[in-house]
Amino acid sequence: MSKLSFRARALDAAKPLPIYRNKDLPDLNDCVSINRAVPQMPTGMEKEEESEHHLQRAISAQSVFREKKENMVIPVPEAESNITYYDRLYKGELRIPKQLFHIQPLGLDNEQPDYDMDSEDEILLNRLNRKMEIKPIQFETMVDRLEKASTNQMVTITEAKLLLNEDDYLLKAVYDYWVRKRKNCRGPSLIPLIKLEKRDGSTNNDAYVAFRRRTEKMQTRKNRKNDEASYEKMLKLRREFSRTVTILEMIKRREKSKRELLHLTLEVVEKRYQMGDFTGEVLSEVTAPLAEKPVYTVPITVTNGNRHNHKAEIKIKTHKSGGLPYHGYHHVSVKDEDPFDFVRPKKKYTRREPLCRPGRPAKRQHIVNKADIKQYDFHSSGEEDYPLSPSSEPDEENDPDGTFAFRRKAGCHYLAPCLDQTSGLLWDHPELAGLDALRHRQSLTALSVPQRCVGLARRRVGRGGRVLLDRASSDLDGVLKQLDSGVFSSSFPKGLSDHQVPTQNHRTMPGSASSLTDLLSNIQALRWRFFRPRSTQGDDSGEGRTGRPSMDNRLSGGLFVHTKNSGSGGITEEQYQVHQQALAQMQKQQLAQLQLKAPPPQQHFSLPERQNTQTAGSTDCIISKTLDSAGAHFAASAVISAPGQVNNENKPDNTSVNGVVQPLGTSRPPHSTSTSQGGTGLDRSGRTPSSGGPLLPASHSTTPQSLPNHRGHGSAVSPAHHHHNARPSPSSLKLATMATSSLDRVPKVTPAISSMARDNHEPERLALNGISETTVPMEVT
Amino acid sequence: MADSSVDVVEGCRLPVLRKNQENEDEWPLAEILSVKEIPGRKLYYVHYIDFNKRLDEWVTPDRLDMKKLQFPKKEAKTPTKNGLPGSRPSSPESEVVRVVGAVSHYYSVGNGTARRPMPNQPGRKRKQPPNCGGTDEDSQDSSDGIPSTPRMTGSLVSDRSHDDIVTRMKNIDCIELGRHRLKPWYFSPYPQELTTLPILYLCEFCLKYLKSLKCLQRHLTKCNLRHPPGNEIYRKGTISFFEIDGRKNKTYSQNLCLLAKCFLDHKTLYYDTDPFLFYVMTEYDAKGFHIVGYFSKEKESTEDYNVACILTLPPYQRRGYGKLLIEFSYELSKVEGKTGTPEKPLSDLGLLSYRSYWSQTILEILMDLKPDNGERPQITINDISEITSVKKEDVISTLQYLNLINYYKGQYILTLSEDIVEGHERAMQKRHLRIDSKCLHFTPKDWSKRGKW
Repeated sequence: MSKLSFRARALDAAKPLPIYRNKDLPDLNDCVSINRAVPQMPTGMEKEEESEHHLQRAISAQSVFREKKENMVIPVPEAESNITYYDRLYKGELRIPKQLFHIQPLGLDNEQPDYDMDSEDEILLNRLNRKMEIKPIQFETMVDRLEKASTNQMVTITEAKLLLNEDDYLLKAVYDYWVRKRKNCRGPSLIPLIKLEKRDGSTNNDAYVAFRRRTEKMQTRKNRKNDEASYEKMLKLRREFSRTVTILEMIKRREKSKRELLHLTLEVVEKRYQMGDFTGEVLSEVTAPLAEKPVYTVPITVTNGNRHNHKAEIKIKTHKSGGLPYHGYHHVSVKDEDPFDFVRPKKKYTRREPLCRPGRPAKRQHIVNKADIKQYDFHSSGEEDYPLSPSSEPDEENDPDGTFAFRRKAGCHYLAPCLDQTSGLLWDHPELAGLDALRHRQSLTALSVPQRCVGLARRRVGRGGRVLLDRASSDLDGVLKQLDSGVFSSSFPKGLSDHQVPTQNHRTMPGSASSLTDLLSNIQALRWRFFRPRSTQGDDSGEGRTGRPSMDNRLSGGLFVHTKNSGSGGITEEQYQVHQQALAQMQKQQLAQLQLKAPPPQQHFSLPERQNTQTAGSTDCIISKTLDSAGAHFAASAVISAPGQVNNENKPDNTSVNGVVQPLGTSRPPHSTSTSQGGTGLDRSGRTPSSGGPLLPASHSTTPQSLPNHRGHGSAVSPAHHHHNARPSPSSLKLATMATSSLDRVPKVTPAISSMARDNHEPERLALNGISETTVPMEVT
Repeated sequence: MADSSVDVVEGCRLPVLRKNQENEDEWPLAEILSVKEIPGRKLYYVHYIDFNKRLDEWVTPDRLDMKKLQFPKKEAKTPTKNGLPGSRPSSPESEVVRVVGAVSHYYSVGNGTARRPMPNQPGRKRKQPPNCGGTDEDSQDSSDGIPSTPRMTGSLVSDRSHDDIVTRMKNIDCIELGRHRLKPWYFSPYPQELTTLPILYLCEFCLKYLKSLKCLQRHLTKCNLRHPPGNEIYRKGTISFFEIDGRKNKTYSQNLCLLAKCFLDHKTLYYDTDPFLFYVMTEYDAKGFHIVGYFSKEKESTEDYNVACILTLPPYQRRGYGKLLIEFSYELSKVEGKTGTPEKPLSDLGLLSYRSYWSQTILEILMDLKPDNGERPQITINDISEITSVKKEDVISTLQYLNLINYYKGQYILTLSEDIVEGHERAMQKRHLRIDSKCLHFTPKDWSKRGKW
């Protein structure tokens, strides 16, 4: 028959197997041995147990008898099934319902106490029941609550009282009993509970710990592969959403604050308008004491900066953002009781323009109406502008303009050019032609050494930090020569600081300032700018016109040296500003010369000018004592030497005017001009920006960013002004720089761009001239 | 005897008297697992070699045959409280120190009778260097990667953590459940303070454990359950099946597991019951629906398990309930349209029961096949599997076990011998309890589509 010479094929589960009865296959026995070809399936038992005696016996019995014999059964421990008291224990009967039982998902938990009374409790209960009625369930509930409240430590009697709300006697009895019983209890609780796992894993091998949570990662199953990843994604999403919500909340809050600020500002402006506080003076008086306002200065590098008598008044704080490129920044908070106190700025003659915020000029576009007042800075953008805090963003490196980049100054308002006032050029106004025009471009300037007024001139910084005076000749030259320092120094009343110089003054000012007295009176009346070294005499003035006489004195000695060598002695910006204004005026005057042949000599320099000059006196380059006269001489000489034009020849004379740096950016001290010239000493006080505007027509027009610096503007300037800071592109800035420098020399010959821009700004500048002095203190505050 | 008993320590082997089923005296070899002294005398916990652990018991000294006392081998001479000699060595020579927490996978160590000696600290993992006395470092019993915790799927632990001295010994002496008093077979992690009680009382319906009859009485005043707290999905006659979600009804599931653990050696209660469904079979009488047995089932099984643990309570054993439970589990699989198999390892009783069920089920099919058109009836293994929902491997193993597969003339055939047919017919006559699929009201849930079981 079939032989075993071949191997049986594997059993194929899909192949039909014919079914035979053994009787049909008498020859089957010959084939039996091949059965082994089918691999033996495992039984699924533990091997050791499989070999157990009773199992093997049972298996063999089954295979032999095809039926289990009674004595071949695997023996098990015996069970009894005759609990006699069963019926008493399980009372009641249950009729089988027709419907299948269906358990409600929740419920059926009728808050029965888990604790079950034992016979010991029953004794207590019986004892208690003599005095009061207490049901077992009541007792059980009490114990149950006590137990469940005592997870870590047993509840105290006071806690128990709160917990149980029972009669005091009963409570005490049960509580004491419970405490005793619990102490004797072998288990952790009177309610026997399965041991729970502990988090620390110490129970991992405790045999009595059961039903541990499956905290570990579940085995990934077919449909749950992504679960973990998606869970994490959801978590992340949630986190991001909540962050978004937070941000939005904050934005909402910020915008609300802004709106409030705007309203308040409007209100303030209205009030100011009503009370005629156009210079912001009242405002500053009101606001000044409110807080110390930080001002940032460069550390004083000037050698003669050693006398700071008033240092006590000034807090120098280290700049918070140490990472700033201008690492030298210091943060000076000045208590400004008097906004017109120029003393401090003077002291900090090396002050740079700290409040300028670095970077990102292009990002901001501010539209501010005229009511917009300096202190307030509205940014509709979400950028974090904290007016008084220095920006610490060191993005300067990324800034294509480098150090030339425009930086906002905190607390400043940057006004846009007044585009609709195209006819703003001074010399477009017939009445301003001639001397007047000149006067608007140039300032009366005085030198400290020699002490004289050089006439109309304007300052700027030349190469290497040299200070140049561009002088303009005018009809006044003759008169100016006569200006005696003594004249103004004595003639200036001390309290003139509150003089307001409405813009109109300039316009209405008689172009015929031909006589010295007129001139002086003009100056005194603030119609003329007079730029001169600070005088010591003014120091004691309560107004703070002169804060630091001594310094001035000392500084004056080093005038020339400083200016020439290092430019370390800076001129305060107001000083410079005034000068620039004077120069501008001079120019105008020149323009007006034809029409106004004999401008009456202006006897008096305007007070603001003087003030500025005085404060500016902080610069080391000015001899304080002879300031006024020297300035006058200087101005006069400047006018003489440069008739009709601003001349380069003035350079030698300019020495006193160190601050020329400002023409450029004025608004941004950190700026190239200053730094490149090694102008460590250049004055960069917070005020610089304010004076920047008026400085040079050219610089104005082409470097609009200088405009915004005029905080003081707002009050006097037309509402149409826009904030400018957003405008200047890097290229335009550069252009502006170039233009300025060229313009400095020949103001009239300006690149088209600058002239156009200048046109726009001329009126504004006029206005600025008038109020520049007020702006200064405000900056400081 | 009293004198010599001093020398009987853990690890000793000696014949111990026990009665067999015929109530005859036998002296099987036994190993002393533990010694305890109660006032007046000593008691010895003995394991009868080659007998199932369920027969382990405390014996009095007079049942020990001291004349044939064998002391532990050298390496096992230092048994401590924690380290016990092997419980199931096939020969005395192979016994070594048994370890707590020595984890191995079932299939990996199945062949080893000798255990690797391990340090005795509970909780030590297999990361131990193999030089700690191990002689049979088997490859699968990997010393790396296998944590000391049981696998998280399934209910049956296939490691040896139960060789722990604590779990090695029964801890509950007696359980009273309804009308019955049960003698537990194995360790169960009931609260430890209850293990010293002579009797642990369970509520018959909610299976809550209570320390005294008084407590049970009190409990019954509060417990109004008269059936397992689940949905009744099958009822025929007095037999009902209740489905309980291990996640939704934790208390009952845990109580059920604690009870079941008393009779299931390889069941683990290490993890929670969340991933399981429990099908409790009850028998109704006027008092309520009394639990007869149950099986648990993973909501999702990666290995085609349709049963995790299955138990007929001892009072109901050997009366066909086990087969009924098995049949019911396959009925569920039929509704699900899957084949299934019980989770391994099987116990001895499990193996017998399943084999019996498989045999009867398959033979039923084979016998019912009628020759059509004069051709011999034939069937594929896949067909059988599909009809019965019994997994193919189980079909083959059953056919093998019944010795039905033969190779005849170049092909496999199934042959039915006389005694097989006879035996089957006799068995089927005794099998009264059957599941009626018409009485099953069951809609399988796709648990994979739920977030968690």
